[in-house]
Amino acid sequence: MEESRQSPELSLFLASTAHDMKNSISVLSGTLERLLDGATPETEKAYAQMAQMLYQTRRLNDNLMQLLALYKQVGKAGYPFDLQPLEVGQVVEQVVALARVLLESRGIALELDYDPEQIVHADEDLIVGVVSHAVNNALHYTRDRIRLAVRDTGGDLEIRVEDNGEGFPPALLAAGAPASSASGVNFLTNSAGLGLYFSGEVARMHRHRERTGAVRLENGGTLGGGCFILTLP
Amino acid sequence: MTTPTAPGASADAAASAVDSAPAVATPKVVEQIDWASKHYLIVDDFVGIRQLLRESLRSLGARNIDQASSGGEAMSLLNKLRYDVVLCDYNLGEGKNGQQVLEEARVRQLLLPSSVFVMVSAEKSVESVMGAAEHQPDAYLVKPITEGVLLTRLNRVWRRKQIFRLIDQAFVEKDYLHAARLCDEQIAANRVHVIELLRMKARMLEKSGQPARAREVYEQVLAQREYHWARAGLGKIRMADGEFEQARLMFQTVIVENRHYIDAYDQLAKAYQGMGQHEEAAAILERAAKLSPNSVPRQRNLGQAALRLGNVPMAEKAFRKCLVIGEYSIRKAPDDYLGLARVCGLKNNTKDALQLLLLAQREFGSEHEHMVLRAKITEGLIYHESGDYQNARRCGDELEGLLNADPKRPGTAICIEMATLLFAVGVKRMAGEVLAYVIRNNHDNTLLQDEVQKIFDRARLPDEGAAIIRSARKEAADLMNQGVVLWKTGKLPDAVKWMRQARERLPDNVRVLFNAVQVSISYIQQYGYDAELEAEARGVLEHVDKLQPGQQRFAQLMEQLRNLQPKPPAPGDAEGEGEQPAATPAPATKPAPQPAARPARSRRFS
Repeated sequence: MEESRQSPELSLFLASTAHDMKNSISVLSGTLERLLDGATPETEKAYAQMAQMLYQTRRLNDNLMQLLALYKQVGKAGYPFDLQPLEVGQVVEQVVALARVLLESRGIALELDYDPEQIVHADEDLIVGVVSHAVNNALHYTRDRIRLAVRDTGGDLEIRVEDNGEGFPPALLAAGAPASSASGVNFLTNSAGLGLYFSGEVARMHRHRERTGAVRLENGGTLGGGCFILTLP
Repeated sequence: MTTPTAPGASADAAASAVDSAPAVATPKVVEQIDWASKHYLIVDDFVGIRQLLRESLRSLGARNIDQASSGGEAMSLLNKLRYDVVLCDYNLGEGKNGQQVLEEARVRQLLLPSSVFVMVSAEKSVESVMGAAEHQPDAYLVKPITEGVLLTRLNRVWRRKQIFRLIDQAFVEKDYLHAARLCDEQIAANRVHVIELLRMKARMLEKSGQPARAREVYEQVLAQREYHWARAGLGKIRMADGEFEQARLMFQTVIVENRHYIDAYDQLAKAYQGMGQHEEAAAILERAAKLSPNSVPRQRNLGQAALRLGNVPMAEKAFRKCLVIGEYSIRKAPDDYLGLARVCGLKNNTKDALQLLLLAQREFGSEHEHMVLRAKITEGLIYHESGDYQNARRCGDELEGLLNADPKRPGTAICIEMATLLFAVGVKRMAGEVLAYVIRNNHDNTLLQDEVQKIFDRARLPDEGAAIIRSARKEAADLMNQGVVLWKTGKLPDAVKWMRQARERLPDNVRVLFNAVQVSISYIQQYGYDAELEAEARGVLEHVDKLQPGQQRFAQLMEQLRNLQPKPPAPGDAEGEGEQPAATPAPATKPAPQPAARPARSRRFS
């Protein structure tokens, strides 16, 4: 039967190195959050730079997490996928907690629109990771607002991350279109591609009967900027 | 710099940040849990992470935070204090890992039922979806841990513990039918936990020997969504009905869909064994052991399956691994050493084999019953297999001496192994005695009788064997029937005494044990509550559950025992939360205060 193709030594080495890197990033981003949370631009003259450091640390963390998950074959049967019923409120709680300091440090408002008692069937770590990444991404491109909305669209659950920035460039929109997800953008050369590819893989793992999760990008939405839309069956 | 804030601090912090930044909307938190007053233990080998976690906990208001940098250090702290929350990294460098800390803490009961154990790891762990692991933490967290995620998960675990508190308690007390009913009560009130509650309910029904009802629950769950544990659950029930091929297909489907759901491997191996396909079974156990390489029981299963197959290299690898990973594990067992000793014997390395037997006795002699006996059996087997008949016979004689000195006997499987050896080395009288003991304790198990008869046949004693089996069966049946007669004629004090003696003679006879409990229950119903008798009956049932888990009669008797307990005085607020007291028995198991109900029960009785 199909066993993992990587050698066990490499896997072990990778796992322990990743562990080590995650520890470092945890400490880095935790410390920065703490410093920022206790400061204001008036009391701390490096406030803006620190905010930028936190943003970059988060990007580093997201990318590392995504690479690791892909290495562990996200999207394939081999990934330790853990589907469970979750309260939407708790997913949102975690996404907001992850983004709060960063949002505040950049002066960006976050609007929420969801039913906290709604149930979603998902792999919690993956979904929180994907939505947080979308928020972090929006954070970079928005003018001053982000909206996180979750609603039931008759069987499927739709999670939208919207901003009031310039919107996605056409090439990325094409890549995010459901029909052409395999073509168009070369993920090896497009820095925005990894996150989108990862999100798509995660979405596709969520299946229920004949329906499958999906990711798409649009421009417009409630705030008139970019919209990242994740649907889960 | 950090403002020490109350739990749910995000709300306050967001509000205070308003002047410098626009509002970040705050999610509604259902209810606040007092995290400040709890006792915490942080276990991580990396000082930076310990500090980070300590800061996070402090901002929840926590004051009592202990830290450990290794598994050993964690154990000594867990020994001293009952923590409310343990945050433990899986990778702890040398020594025990996080899972071993958890297992030892649970086995040695160093955690309160209300304690929260959170396992932290760098990446999504395979263990977290394995499902059937015996010792699961309350939550898994993937690094990096942030305050918000930590708080959300802690809150959730806490609420879950509240919902499952009574269910878990009934489960620990092995009152499975009651636990299943409590699940029903909670299902009505908890939308989020419905699936988890149904899973628990099905498990309780399986343990109560009610596969048909468990099956209904699994089907109900599968009608909503394809949960692999429910599919595997159906497979298990199919297998119990002897439908091995259908069961095999189900388990294989689960594995294809979710390669890490390890319980399906164990079950698949059992299905293969049921069909007599032992090679396939061992191959599946080998894959499972690869997926979960640090599980001692899994390596042991593999080693034993390989040994049965005569696959010495595979057995050796598995048992050696057992010893290595068992070094820091509470789950190591004599079987690992005895298994490896057999392997050494098969490789004609008697010296190492004997060394391992000594080690096993030194390591486990004080806490495991029959250790000397078991080591001696293995020694005899090793000599016998290597053709050293003189030493094999000496072991046989020594075994006979041990058995004469102590009337206690090990479980059926070990007795059979021992009798086979005794015959092989020519200690025939004792072999016959041991087998008679086996039959006495399993007098209604025809499969086992055939097996025992075959052992006699191989020893060229077919007629003597048949006679021994006959008289052993008769003795057990007579002992039991006399108890039934006393019970039916209402001589309850005599019946209780009689069954106590019968138990001494037939300590592992499940039907006798059940009857003994039944008699005690009747006695209490007739003569009033008797705590000592109840405790004795519980002890008997506990023993049965070890011998043959999942018996319907076990669950029913447990429930009857619970219903015998004197009810709390105040009718209004009897059970903690003012729920209806647990006095609503199921119709089928309603304790009958009068002899009138006896005929119905006596069908099961004898």
